[in-house]
Amino acid sequence: MTKDTDEILAWVADIFETPLEKIRPETKRDEIEAWDSLGILTLIARMDEDYHILLTDEEIQRLRSVGDIIDFLNQRDASPGP
Amino acid sequence: MAKCKIGGAAIRGIVSAVPSRRFDNFRDASGFSEDEVRKVVGMAGVKSRRMAGESVCSSDLCQTAAESLLEKVGWERDSVDALIMVTQSPDYLLPSTACILQAKLRLPITCAAFDVGLGCSGYPYGLYLGALMLSQGGIRRALVLHGETPARFADESDRSVSLLFGDAGSATALEADPSESAHPWAFVLHTDGTGYQDLIIPGGGFRERFPEDRRRYCVSMNGANIFSFSIKRVPAVIEDTLALAGTTKEGVDYYILHQSNQFIMKHLAKKLGIPEEKMPLTLGDFGNTGGPSVPLTMTEGGLVRPADRPLTLMLVGYGVGLSWGSALVQLAPGAVLSSVELGNQG
Repeated sequence: MTKDTDEILAWVADIFETPLEKIRPETKRDEIEAWDSLGILTLIARMDEDYHILLTDEEIQRLRSVGDIIDFLNQRDASPGP
Repeated sequence: MAKCKIGGAAIRGIVSAVPSRRFDNFRDASGFSEDEVRKVVGMAGVKSRRMAGESVCSSDLCQTAAESLLEKVGWERDSVDALIMVTQSPDYLLPSTACILQAKLRLPITCAAFDVGLGCSGYPYGLYLGALMLSQGGIRRALVLHGETPARFADESDRSVSLLFGDAGSATALEADPSESAHPWAFVLHTDGTGYQDLIIPGGGFRERFPEDRRRYCVSMNGANIFSFSIKRVPAVIEDTLALAGTTKEGVDYYILHQSNQFIMKHLAKKLGIPEEKMPLTLGDFGNTGGPSVPLTMTEGGLVRPADRPLTLMLVGYGVGLSWGSALVQLAPGAVLSSVELGNQG
């Protein structure tokens, strides 16, 4: 099952406190100001909180664009938990 | 598997010691823009810190704490049978800082004294060793000292650590008490050395004796890995300790966690379902002081202490090593909790 891309885009926009219109699958990490070392901590926390996924170091390194996050969540077939 | 219960030890008192020099991250952090400071403070929660001067070591902070503690609990120096110094900021590579402190504190030569080289996880390990020694007979009174000066090993230009760390020492008086055997303390102690590079001072040890780059003598941290490690390991070690002790989350009065970072700690509280008032935060005023942040939070965390029963405390250290551990202990109403300050002249 493919997760709703729009849902993930909104989730990413919320994490990095960035307007939704600036978040596209092709948006690169360095194009999002808040996706810095502190932003990564928020991403790790929200992955744990919302999808019960504990990111490994390798997985963190592989997430270089919004599209990578979308692919990652779809590969894990993750769905938001309680 | 390192899980065990040890009975027959009591905490008679804890005194923490911090440098008198207060460093305000907004006012005094001149190397960073206001926006950078606001972002880091917003996440880490460290508004101000206590920083030791160049002449003040962990041992000085611990000595100050121990002098005050001995007086407050009324122990004769000759009655102290063991001194355990837990630190990763020793005075020298050798001798052990514990030996120097045995002399400075004028403890008897019949006193066993040794260092334990652990950082953020150090307090539960120190209590474990102290309680274990008391439970074997022969040793009746032990001082567990735990001090660090992380602000002194941080590179001032490194945003990930320079606004975070403060310095602190502590002294804990443990005494054999057979009446406490009915309420054994529970310990869970674990290690994952595959992450040793995630928090490291690479230079100055025997692996890399005299590096030219001064930054190799400063701490380097992979914050993302440390965060992932913390949220993976801390909830599990708390659950394991509760199960070992045969109690529930509600049976614990306070969860005193190593004050790593406010964002991490609040995430842990939420994940564990622990109300924030049961997990005191002191890093806003003192910063991340390494493992001594646990005893520092016991004295400075505003614990409400009923007069008619002991507090049940879950003490958790986690970080550098990677190493983590917990101690579920009782703190009697009469036990001393106090703090002192040390001027920067030592």
